[in-house]
Amino acid sequence: MPLITFERLTFRYPETEQPVIADFSATIDPGHVILVRGPSGSGKSTLLRCLNGLVPHSSGGHFSGRVVVDGLDTRTTPPRQLGAHVGFVFQHPDAQFVLEDVESELAFGLENVGLPRPLMRKRVEEVLDQVGIAGLRHRAIRTLSGGERQRVAIAATLVTHPSVLALDEPTSQLDPQAAEDVLHVLARLVGELGLTVVIAEHRVERIAPFVDRVFTLTAPGAPIADASPRVALGGGGARPPIVDLAVRAGWDPIPITLGEARRAAADLRATLGQAAMADRDSPRPSTAEVAGAAFSYNGTPALRDASLRLHGGEITVLMGRNGSGKTTLLKVLAGLLSPLRGHVTRQGTVAYVPQDADTLLYAPTVREEVKDHPGSMLPLGVADWLHRYPRDLSTGERQRVAIAAAAGRADVVLLDEPTRGLDPDAKRSLAAYLRVRADAGASILIATHDVEWAARAADRVALMSEGAIYAEGAPRTVLTDSLVFATQVNKLLGKGWLLPDEVPLPSPG
Amino acid sequence: MTGLNPLTWCAWALAAIAAALVERSPYLQLLLLAILLTVWIAARHDRSIGYWRAVLALGLLPILFSLVFSRFGTHVLFRLPKDLPVIGGAWTLEAALYGASTGAALLLAMLVFAVAQSTLRTADLLAVLPRPLYRLGTLVALALALVPQALASLQAVSDTRRLRGLRSGWRTALGLLLPVLLTTLERALQYAESLDARGFGSQRRTRYRPSRWGLADGLVLLGATVTLAATILAPSGYDPYLQLAPTLPQTALIGLLVPLSFPAWLLAASRRHALDHV
Repeated sequence: MPLITFERLTFRYPETEQPVIADFSATIDPGHVILVRGPSGSGKSTLLRCLNGLVPHSSGGHFSGRVVVDGLDTRTTPPRQLGAHVGFVFQHPDAQFVLEDVESELAFGLENVGLPRPLMRKRVEEVLDQVGIAGLRHRAIRTLSGGERQRVAIAATLVTHPSVLALDEPTSQLDPQAAEDVLHVLARLVGELGLTVVIAEHRVERIAPFVDRVFTLTAPGAPIADASPRVALGGGGARPPIVDLAVRAGWDPIPITLGEARRAAADLRATLGQAAMADRDSPRPSTAEVAGAAFSYNGTPALRDASLRLHGGEITVLMGRNGSGKTTLLKVLAGLLSPLRGHVTRQGTVAYVPQDADTLLYAPTVREEVKDHPGSMLPLGVADWLHRYPRDLSTGERQRVAIAAAAGRADVVLLDEPTRGLDPDAKRSLAAYLRVRADAGASILIATHDVEWAARAADRVALMSEGAIYAEGAPRTVLTDSLVFATQVNKLLGKGWLLPDEVPLPSPG
Repeated sequence: MTGLNPLTWCAWALAAIAAALVERSPYLQLLLLAILLTVWIAARHDRSIGYWRAVLALGLLPILFSLVFSRFGTHVLFRLPKDLPVIGGAWTLEAALYGASTGAALLLAMLVFAVAQSTLRTADLLAVLPRPLYRLGTLVALALALVPQALASLQAVSDTRRLRGLRSGWRTALGLLLPVLLTTLERALQYAESLDARGFGSQRRTRYRPSRWGLADGLVLLGATVTLAATILAPSGYDPYLQLAPTLPQTALIGLLVPLSFPAWLLAASRRHALDHV
């Protein structure tokens, strides 16, 4: 018997004409993992929110058809009753914390379902180990990094043992290793507890190995395709790098894990030569520089002896695990923080776009926001939304408006995690836009966890750890032969190859 | 951790707020300030008042208001030409003192909030609310979670505006407040959804860390009751327009405020006790 049933579900938000989801029917069996993919704004979050009744109970709007979860009809059961059956992890982890410290936060859901205290103690201890956050149990949540917060958010959901776990882009804020850890935890829970998971995620390559079925959304109201991962990932839309390479090389069946791809790529690897180390032309004079900077927050060091130089016309990508000091370095460069030691120099105007770009948007229309932008070219689809109210846009769309508004004129552009919440097409278009800005002479520094995007966008990559830069150079030297910072294609082929479209393939047949 | 029951802290805060707003004798206000600071130090929280500038402004504002708008009183500080609108006329010492008295009362009330905020945790407040009032609980949780977030996003907005080359003078205050308000409202909605999604209010709650009642709670409750009764029955007044120099309050009234400091002594005693047994 299916655990979740969608029956001719049609939904439109209040005061809109177009349905977001139109006539969608599907069933999900217990223990299955469903990946929901599609561009931002296509209705992934809406579909997930139907599972615990936030649509329509909290959203309002016009809802027809039925969604049944664990035998409960979501139209007649309020979200707070469905809470015991459907664990929900939101896109922004910050807004779902209720209490002050990690342990109380984990217990909160258990208190709500009225478990006796000894059982609560046991569950809390279990989930601390399952998610690997035992070291954080006494910490105050406001002192945690973004990645730590997201792991706590997931643990706080898992602790009540829901029969369905719905996750709305849970790893979008994590560094690669932390994301890997979280997804491994998910895989283990699926295996051991028979947990049913519905997950929306842009970085498909991470979870493809244990997904049973893929729901592909293309646009609001468009039919939702329901297919096996091999069919869905090899088909249209943005493909994970390995799948992209496989389709280009004509491998059959399409590999969806690195292991499968290694076997399929054995011949290619044998014949493939070393990638050319084509360095870009010699750097232009530096436009901004930090030298030997140190900084600490209330005695906790965030930067120790960090030095970095930005050059006009160059895109530099800054990578490193959560809490390694990337954001602090950006803020020091921007002049928002003054280093305790060392010095900072800047030439020209500086733009800084923080992780939470919402704070940048305050005008009534997008047109007002970007009015400083040099007229001719508006990037990233922003031109289509000129008459819209910025806060009605999706997270990814807002991010792009904020980048266009802030970075349009500046000589030094500093972006903190700009690809967060962006779909693959938007990421590509962001890279193209930044290239145009760089070609016009701007120096660009981007802090990101997104290895694949960095390999595509960067002229230079700097790796950071414990508040200092420990490696710096062309992407082909820094992003290869690394366990954490190598691209998928590099893990597969080595020899300096980074991206699927640059690999020379023997002509098929 | 503070050893008192959250409901005890609520009762203490109620009595302290009443005293802060009602007792207007400057002598009693000084005494109250000393008591509140003692409790503040004894509760030994890790949070400093990050928004002390706003608090101080709140205390100074009444002085300015009173000075500018009140023309009563005989002790004239200086005169401005009569034909100036609003600010013209005699500025008096009485007006300044009256404003200061009001400002001091507000400051003391803020201090009570600061102490309560550092001793009461959201978990405790949610737990003491009866289940039929769970919507109220949602509201309390929202307020406690969002005020610090709103202050943080105020900082972020002013930072980013500065970098976009916009001057941050008072003219831009509206432009600054709007995004903060919008962001806070959006967070509030999402937060309320999250409470729902996590089953808050779905059935009778149990407690992970139950709160207990002890002898100390009884003493503090008794003290708070005494002070509250004294504040209501025999409030001390001070009106600079009637008499510039404040009179000394009755000794009994001083004695009746002192029980507000009970939490400080009890906390200090329990800490010493804990140290002795290490």
